[in-house]
Amino acid sequence: MPDLQITATVNGREVTRAVKPWHRLLDFLREDLGLTGTKEGCGAGECGTCSVFVDGVLIKSCLMPVAKAQGTRIDTVEALGRRQFTAVQKAFKKAGASQCGFCIPGMVMAATAALRDSPRADREEIRERLGGNICRCTGYQKIVDAIELARDVLLGLKPESVFDEETTADGHYTGRNVGRIDAPSKVTGALKYAGDMVMPGMLHAQVLRSPHAHARILSIDTSAAKAMPGVEAVVTCDDVPGVDNYGVFVSDQPVLARGKVRFVGDAVAAVAAVDLVTARRALAAIRVDYEPLPAVFSAEEARRPGAPVVHDYAPNNVTKHIPVRVGDVEKGFAESDLIVERVYETQPVEHAYLEPEAGLAYVDPDDVVTIWSPSQNITHHRHMLARILARPINKVRMIMSPVGGGFGGKEDMIYQGILALLAIETKQPVRLVFTREESMAVSAKRHPSRTRLKMGVTRDGLIRAVEYEMVCDGGAYGLSTEGVMRKAAILGAGPYRVPNLKLDTWGIYTNNTPSGAFRSFGGLQAQFATESHLDVVAEMLGLDPFEIRRINAMRVGTATHTKQELKSASLLEVLEAAAKASGWDTGAPTSRGAVRGDLFGPGNRVPLAPGSRVDLRMPAEAGEVK
Amino acid sequence: MARKRGRGMAAGWYGIARTAAVDRAGAWVEIDDGGTVKVVTGVTEIGEGILTVLAQIAAEEIGVRPQDVTLGDNDTARAPEAAHAGATRQTYMVGNTVALAARDARDRLVEAIAEQWQVAPERIVTADGMVSVEGESRSMTMGEAVHLCKTHGVVPLGAASFGTDTTGLDPIDGSGRPWQAYVFGCQVAEVEVDTVTGEVRVLGIWAAHDVGRAINPQGVEGQIEGAVAQALGQALMEDYVQVEGRTTTPGFARYILPTSVDMPMVNVEIVEVPDPIGPLGVKGIGEPAMVATVPAVMNAIYDAVGVRITSLPASPEKILALLGAKDETSRVAPVGV
Repeated sequence: MPDLQITATVNGREVTRAVKPWHRLLDFLREDLGLTGTKEGCGAGECGTCSVFVDGVLIKSCLMPVAKAQGTRIDTVEALGRRQFTAVQKAFKKAGASQCGFCIPGMVMAATAALRDSPRADREEIRERLGGNICRCTGYQKIVDAIELARDVLLGLKPESVFDEETTADGHYTGRNVGRIDAPSKVTGALKYAGDMVMPGMLHAQVLRSPHAHARILSIDTSAAKAMPGVEAVVTCDDVPGVDNYGVFVSDQPVLARGKVRFVGDAVAAVAAVDLVTARRALAAIRVDYEPLPAVFSAEEARRPGAPVVHDYAPNNVTKHIPVRVGDVEKGFAESDLIVERVYETQPVEHAYLEPEAGLAYVDPDDVVTIWSPSQNITHHRHMLARILARPINKVRMIMSPVGGGFGGKEDMIYQGILALLAIETKQPVRLVFTREESMAVSAKRHPSRTRLKMGVTRDGLIRAVEYEMVCDGGAYGLSTEGVMRKAAILGAGPYRVPNLKLDTWGIYTNNTPSGAFRSFGGLQAQFATESHLDVVAEMLGLDPFEIRRINAMRVGTATHTKQELKSASLLEVLEAAAKASGWDTGAPTSRGAVRGDLFGPGNRVPLAPGSRVDLRMPAEAGEVK
Repeated sequence: MARKRGRGMAAGWYGIARTAAVDRAGAWVEIDDGGTVKVVTGVTEIGEGILTVLAQIAAEEIGVRPQDVTLGDNDTARAPEAAHAGATRQTYMVGNTVALAARDARDRLVEAIAEQWQVAPERIVTADGMVSVEGESRSMTMGEAVHLCKTHGVVPLGAASFGTDTTGLDPIDGSGRPWQAYVFGCQVAEVEVDTVTGEVRVLGIWAAHDVGRAINPQGVEGQIEGAVAQALGQALMEDYVQVEGRTTTPGFARYILPTSVDMPMVNVEIVEVPDPIGPLGVKGIGEPAMVATVPAVMNAIYDAVGVRITSLPASPEKILALLGAKDETSRVAPVGV
């Protein structure tokens, strides 16, 4: 297909470029013009990171074919605040509205559009107008705060000076809201994430992934792919020079599948080519013969005798079991007036950082394999890579590029090894950027869990015994499962004194997408069970939920479930603070909602009627501003 | 009444830094020309605001302003090990390390200035880019102090590492010291449940968390607000579904994430019970802020409509099914209210 000649006015300047006809406006901006402030978070118009103005209208540039940009006027985040920050940018900076920053250029564009279209938008309308932009870090609160601040300054209701940094002259800078030092680079889109970086002679990588959940690899034929013009390298497990077995806690993962694949999306081979299209065509030319194997899709099935074995080293499919034992639970239950048993389950969830995985690797003149990537653990990734590549540690260099959201999902190493192999093979810089679909299918998830919890208490609400068993689906590789099981085990019985405890956590291999590190690392699943259960027990005893927790609270000097004496313990303080702040109306949790006295108080958001859109009255009419 | 309100609460605890393993981090600090400061440590920003926190800590310890601090980081070939960006360890491990390294660098500078001025080093005060003597009018800028230091042949450098006194767990009974700092938190949720559609709206969250010491309160709020949003996703809507190992939620069109429309008002209460061990008294907040939200919301749903969700997420379908089952039960055997 011949190139298209596109002329458009971009950020006030007329530009003409010959572009690939399959390019989207997003590609035109990022690839052809180098305007990388516009990000690609999902490629499907769902996340809003690629928001730009076309002829003054906010659109998602991943949905617009480049041909449609012919003759238009396009404004990107780079057009805002070139000389001086706009009010929206200043407000984002002041309110602390940027965290990882990846969604922020799109947010700034959406916020700018919101205040252009509706200069007096109230808080609820602002929320609605941002509904097409996802942020995974901030909870949106400070973003909405920022837009309200910008609105008030633009309307002249507040002076421009509200954007100024708080000044102090007492030499104290801790305990203060010092503005984020990275905010300017984030509100302008200037910050370069790994997928924004380019180097001369840079190649593009793509990864061939398994269509099977469990299969033996009979053969891989890369000859046709290698022969294609523009293909610089095709690598498989045969190209790994060192020990091809790694992991944070247990070494059970090859860089590229060796002998068999264990989940849908397991990496099998990788290509580096002069451009993305050639790399993708080359993937299609690789021939892999698979022999499908019986697969196992739940922790429960995987624990049964005779279940398919995911890793030969673990014939029972157990990745990790962590026991915690205190006292004698049978004795504790015998001393209890009430024994309650329930089962709690949590689902797998995705980190959904807005920045999909990306990396850029090259071998520098001193023969140091260098990898830029948003890795949350450069230290450990370096150790693992040195072993994989059979190089001394100082010949492997990991550089952490700005992380567009991690939440634990960029802690387990799932693609840096592939990049290193391709860079070594080609002696050229190689960049790999995941699509959202690739990220969803192959990055680790929060461990789904099933917890059986049995608790014995006295009439007064004192916990006498807890029996607790949590079983988690760890998926096809170990990744952080061992650590997650350990943390769940230590924390599972909650910050309460439990004199008799029998607790076990189990991480189990299956042929599902691997589970791994995810913010709160087993603590969330484990305490969901205990904190739900305490309310069930409190209702049966007629106790207020705060009260049952106070009665059993760990204090300074309490031995934890792992028999560690606490030097500092603040549970009573936080219980007090939350009860006070919320104006908690004391009483047992007996679904008394309708009659409780603390509802509808300050600190709530105004609920919208189901199906209603925004209240389009001006804030002044709604009595909110004078 | 189709929409019913209720409240619930939950507490939680969490350990700071690496679990059941000795954690450690290192940093280098140089008080540089012009009274600026270089901090070099091997870990960086993942959005939580650690770079700003480190600049604040170094500024206060050395006596300059945060904008005078330059951070070099994130490169295994150029910076000392600071291990990973996770485990709620950055402020605790790297913050404490940078404080110690900054004190070390400041000691070098102060020693040279004290000698020049012929006063005891303890009497030297450094703040906001100025160096002075306690109770006297003598002063110079930090830039002048660095220059003076260098004419004495001294580059004011510091280095430090910070480690934890922790152990692994016993393989039989799990005993051990997995962390040296623990944090506690408590959240209250107010929800509205639509008994016709099964939809749950969370309207308010009151979140009280012990962070030891808040270096940047706005940053702490941001961590808590973001954690609540992620936890609400898990509580109410997110679900990565696989059928025979193949996902049926392959992108954001099918995998539903919370947007600004779904978020409640989050009311943050920062509780400060200083860590008795580390030099700054700080603890952490990134992960612990997520723990209490999900059960608080489930307990609030129970308070509102009397159904107990034990399997996440609390989707409208599940709420309606449980409400239906409850109606059946109450028809068979009415219970008094």
